Amino acid sequence: MQSHSIYKVPQGKLLKISLEYDEKKNVITDICITGDFFAYPEEAIELLETKLKNITLGRKQLLEKISSIIAEYHIQFIGVNAESFTEGILMCKP
Amino acid sequence: MTEQWRLLQTGFKNAYSNMAIDKAILVANSEGKVPPTVRFYGWDPAAISIGYFQSLVEEVDIQACERFGIDYVRRITGGGAVFHEKELTYSVVVPESHPEMPRNIMQSYARICGAVMRGLHQLGIESEYAPINDIVTAGRKISGNAQTRKLQTVLQHGTVLMDVDVNTMFSLLKVPNEKMKDKLIADVEQRVTSMRHILGKEIRFNEVARAMKIGFEEEFHVELNEGKLRKEELNLAKQFEKESFSTRQWNFRR
Repeated sequence: MQSHSIYKVPQGKLLKISLEYDEKKNVITDICITGDFFAYPEEAIELLETKLKNITLGRKQLLEKISSIIAEYHIQFIGVNAESFTEGILMCKP
Repeated sequence: MTEQWRLLQTGFKNAYSNMAIDKAILVANSEGKVPPTVRFYGWDPAAISIGYFQSLVEEVDIQACERFGIDYVRRITGGGAVFHEKELTYSVVVPESHPEMPRNIMQSYARICGAVMRGLHQLGIESEYAPINDIVTAGRKISGNAQTRKLQTVLQHGTVLMDVDVNTMFSLLKVPNEKMKDKLIADVEQRVTSMRHILGKEIRFNEVARAMKIGFEEEFHVELNEGKLRKEELNLAKQFEKESFSTRQWNFRR
């Protein structure tokens, strides 16, 4: 299943997500994150996209996974955060 | 003695070359080959730059750009799509460890934007920093800015609007909803301003550059000495232009 979302982060930037997911297993199979936010280092976005594959599409699971990637790789996002990524991803689900 | 930084006035260049030069300065500075550098430049032809994380096909009407002879390029910095036409673009490259450069990213945005605001003040325009990355005057955007940090080096570039044509801009950018386009254009026209609008007259690029030079000197307590790109920087820039900024692979990567 393919889906998109556009989420204006409150006090932040515009986050656009293209998601491919397995409806039966409820997991992400592919994700592309775009938008006018900032990330330090920039390459962290590709890492985040890779690490989100096979993650369950649930608020708790996503938030935990994204927060742990941000902490582990010392990524600094400006205009988006773990909550906004989670929100944008969940918005892709009907 | 006042610290000496380099000032580069590279004139008007195409989008690939402009982005390649900024990156080349960053690399050269990170290797200690050149001093901290402030660069002023323009765009010929006019161009759209998009943020590192944006999708080119989602943001830009490629066919319209090609029809009007407008370049498009992906930046190495985040942020949004910008139509570069009547503006002065600056870039500043400084080691992360420089005592005048805050370690904190948001604070360093504020500091560099401070230089632009001082420059605007020289021209009789009062402005303020509007986080995350804008400068506004009377509540309307006059400058957008974007920063990256690589190789322990800060690169920030940004635009200072001399004049703005929102209609042309939106003929080149994709809008989420065509039906709402007129309203969107009206909204953006209310939110954006330019030197011409504020001063009620045209202003020359060189005049803006002179003012911005003073702005950077005051903000960072340095003297800017006009210099040239080193041969190594020119070679690096050529390489970056050829290998990434002018390629489909780079520009369409997201």
